[in-house]
Amino acid sequence: MIKKLCLVILLSCNFLFADSLYEFTNLENEKRFYNLIKEIRCPKCTSGSLASSNAPVSEDIKLKIVELIKEGKSDSEIKKYIVNRFGNEVLYDPGFDKGTYFLWIAPISILLLALTTFFFRRKI
Amino acid sequence: MLVEIAQFLTILSTGLFFLNFSFSFLFDSKDQHIANLVSKIYTHSSLLLVTSFLIYVWLAVSDNFSVLYIAQHSNSNLPIFYKITSIWSAHEGSMFLWILFLVLWGALFNFVTDNLQDLKVKSMGIISIIIVGFLLFLLLTSNPFETILPIAPANGADINPVLQDPALAIHPPFLYMGYIGFVIAFAHAIAFMIEGNSSVKWEALVRTWSIAAWVFLTIGITLGSWWAYYELGWGGYWFWDPVENVALMPWLAATAFIHSISVSSKSSSLRIWTILLSIIVFSLSLFGAFIVRSGIIDSVHSFANDPERGLYLLAFIGILIIGSMTIFSSRLSMLTSGSAIKTFSKESFISINNIFFGVLVFSTMLGILYPLIYESIYEQKISVGAPFYNAIFVPMTVLASIFLFFSVEARWQRKFVIRSLINSMSISALISGSLVFSAYKIFNITGTWELISIFAGSLIIIRYLFVIWDYLLNNKYSNPFSVIAHMGLGMLMISIALNNELSSERALNININQSDMYQGYEIKLSDLKLVNNPNHDSVQAIFTLTDPLGNNFYLKPEKRKYFARGQITTETDIYVTLLKDIYITIGDQLKDGSWIVNIQFNYFIRWIWFSAIMMSFSGIMLIVSINRAKR
Amino acid sequence: MKFILRMFVIILPIALISFFYLYINDDDYYPGADYRNYNLPQFELNELYSQSPISNKDIQGTYLINVWASWCITCRVEHGFLVKLSNKNIPIMGINYKDDRDDAINWINKFGDPYKLIIHDFKGSLALDMGVTGAPETFLVSNGEVLVHYRGEVNTMIWQDVFTPVINKYELFK
Repeated sequence: MIKKLCLVILLSCNFLFADSLYEFTNLENEKRFYNLIKEIRCPKCTSGSLASSNAPVSEDIKLKIVELIKEGKSDSEIKKYIVNRFGNEVLYDPGFDKGTYFLWIAPISILLLALTTFFFRRKI
Repeated sequence: MLVEIAQFLTILSTGLFFLNFSFSFLFDSKDQHIANLVSKIYTHSSLLLVTSFLIYVWLAVSDNFSVLYIAQHSNSNLPIFYKITSIWSAHEGSMFLWILFLVLWGALFNFVTDNLQDLKVKSMGIISIIIVGFLLFLLLTSNPFETILPIAPANGADINPVLQDPALAIHPPFLYMGYIGFVIAFAHAIAFMIEGNSSVKWEALVRTWSIAAWVFLTIGITLGSWWAYYELGWGGYWFWDPVENVALMPWLAATAFIHSISVSSKSSSLRIWTILLSIIVFSLSLFGAFIVRSGIIDSVHSFANDPERGLYLLAFIGILIIGSMTIFSSRLSMLTSGSAIKTFSKESFISINNIFFGVLVFSTMLGILYPLIYESIYEQKISVGAPFYNAIFVPMTVLASIFLFFSVEARWQRKFVIRSLINSMSISALISGSLVFSAYKIFNITGTWELISIFAGSLIIIRYLFVIWDYLLNNKYSNPFSVIAHMGLGMLMISIALNNELSSERALNININQSDMYQGYEIKLSDLKLVNNPNHDSVQAIFTLTDPLGNNFYLKPEKRKYFARGQITTETDIYVTLLKDIYITIGDQLKDGSWIVNIQFNYFIRWIWFSAIMMSFSGIMLIVSINRAKR
Repeated sequence: MKFILRMFVIILPIALISFFYLYINDDDYYPGADYRNYNLPQFELNELYSQSPISNKDIQGTYLINVWASWCITCRVEHGFLVKLSNKNIPIMGINYKDDRDDAINWINKFGDPYKLIIHDFKGSLALDMGVTGAPETFLVSNGEVLVHYRGEVNTMIWQDVFTPVINKYELFK
């Protein structure tokens, strides 16, 4: 009975075969993995990281990341691999390039501007 | 029949609210008769609307599926509680709830406030016209009273099982009470600027109302975070999702606002800030509604994508914001502040606080909008998520908390003075430094910003402990609400840092009657049970965990299949201890019959929510204290 | 100082509101369409029917690649249009995505075969390399380069608005 139900749930999960777990050679790599999947978006979901998604494509990407970590790839190489296939928007970090300078620099600039204005005026 | 009555009452109340608005602005608000009339009309209009809502509740509870919305979002198999909460599970119904709260806040204010109190008539008028704006939105674009006739379905579609949860059910009401509560401050600020009377202390009138709204908002956001943690199955508590951000912005502005208003309600400083913030807070609340309901930004929370609704809301918000900013702009000269703020007086620290919160609001808004802007320019998509927000929020919060630390020493309307080098500040710094050092050496905490946050958080907590000590020993006066709330902030910073640094997780592979080890705990899959429920079937995995000391406890995560939509959900089970949560979910089953078991150790996560509760608690106590003082 | 505040406080909301207004009204936009160009990844998999190995060198020229599966309901809806396209001599290669071979063959026998050949991507490795997130998805490829990647069902409207402009631009299928 349980087996039947499991089978039903299993088949409806659309995730037919998981033949490997997330296996790592050391704790450092495991931590890297769990951090990476928080920083990479699930390409199929409207919103959410790989960590928060169990969509089939998310599972595939996670397994691929495990594989790449095993092959000794660095975090940035892994991110590049996924970006090459799914686009820049799959990274939660928008990157620091001429298109995003404003994004990163504006907050601190405005803070400094406001604070200096305040210290020289002190009337508001 | 009933639904037509409800709709009729709503239409009628729309007309009456509009009448109310007209009266309050066409006639002399100082006239006793007009004041009483406006108050009465408001009361009647609100009774109509409340009755309409109550009828709607009855329609939901009595399974009236001729009403389209109820057919779409409720089901006769739901418990009564969830039939009621299904009303605000989607756009039209939640809009109705939003309006109900708007009406009720106004009604309460109407009831407890003397009709001839300054600005009452005009502000009630402003609240009325805002209500009209939303009622028209409801009736014209998002009508919850639409019917499916002549043949009503026999039963409704089941609501998303994920929505059948007590925390999630009360999370929107708390949030809405928060967003909408600021209408009182907003209406008063506008009325004040229109009246042009510079002697009225509108801030004092609305202070407790605003603090109450802030408390609701804080609790609402905390509920959302807590719910997401145990329901969504992956153990996160904040995702920087656009809709979370859109709730965070009003909260940030509101926090600045309640600080600012505490100053300007008693003195003549910070008046411009306070008015500006009252407009900004309410505008951000409306902006949030717009973003969520227009479908313009994809998010797990988004209601249906509908440009017509988006345009209406945009126009409505546009008129409101641009209108109030124009009035503000033209009245700026009237709002000249009092004397200059002394260097590093408490007032100046609150101004600095306003600046910090303002920049955080701006940064959050920038983060939300940037993907849209980038795409418009470069025709390419990007995402802006946690890395950006953390990079902005963490350093700025730390910096702001350093200012907070110094502000404890500051005086009202007086310069900053340090008498000797050895004082509570330097001792606090010393103790905090040693705490961080021991965290690093003994507990192996190595993250740079985590250590910095722990330092800043401890600075605040210890400094305030000195304040308490001073009060107990030397009877030196202190503001207890500020003490509790800010210690809450310190705890929040430390808890987030520790949670980030210490938490870990792993995906184990366990077959029945087997066990595995993680973090010194033995995890054994003891049993697999089948559970039948009225609307779902579930496989329950029973785990026996043994801690390093040999104590046993049980965790029972589930996988559920709901009948109505065939949806499969994962239910977590959590073992809560003082310092950490042990969090378990089951993943998929493998070929050999074993299960993937996701286990997480989440440290200090309850402390994060507890800090938020501390802050809310201090707000409630403050309201009680202010009201006592008034009598 | 006050003047700056006055202007700022009115201009900022106006700018924001206008931006949103323009953004909401931007209609002719298909979120599923991706026009980034990149090289078709290298692959070596088996053909669905013959089970003989195929790789990049076996598919040349200009063609569509359609990712489908027997468990995919939308693919069923899209399938008729693909048959129509193949009747108009548009070459379509299929990638059978994470599907059981028997189920896939039965599906094709039942609903028709618009494909010149079908790559059996059982593990989804080629699909992953191509940035596929599910089925159905369709690619326009020419000389080993992906020109269009569309996520979702292809129908007359999508064919007209998303694929045809690119086809005309590069004068393909002549």
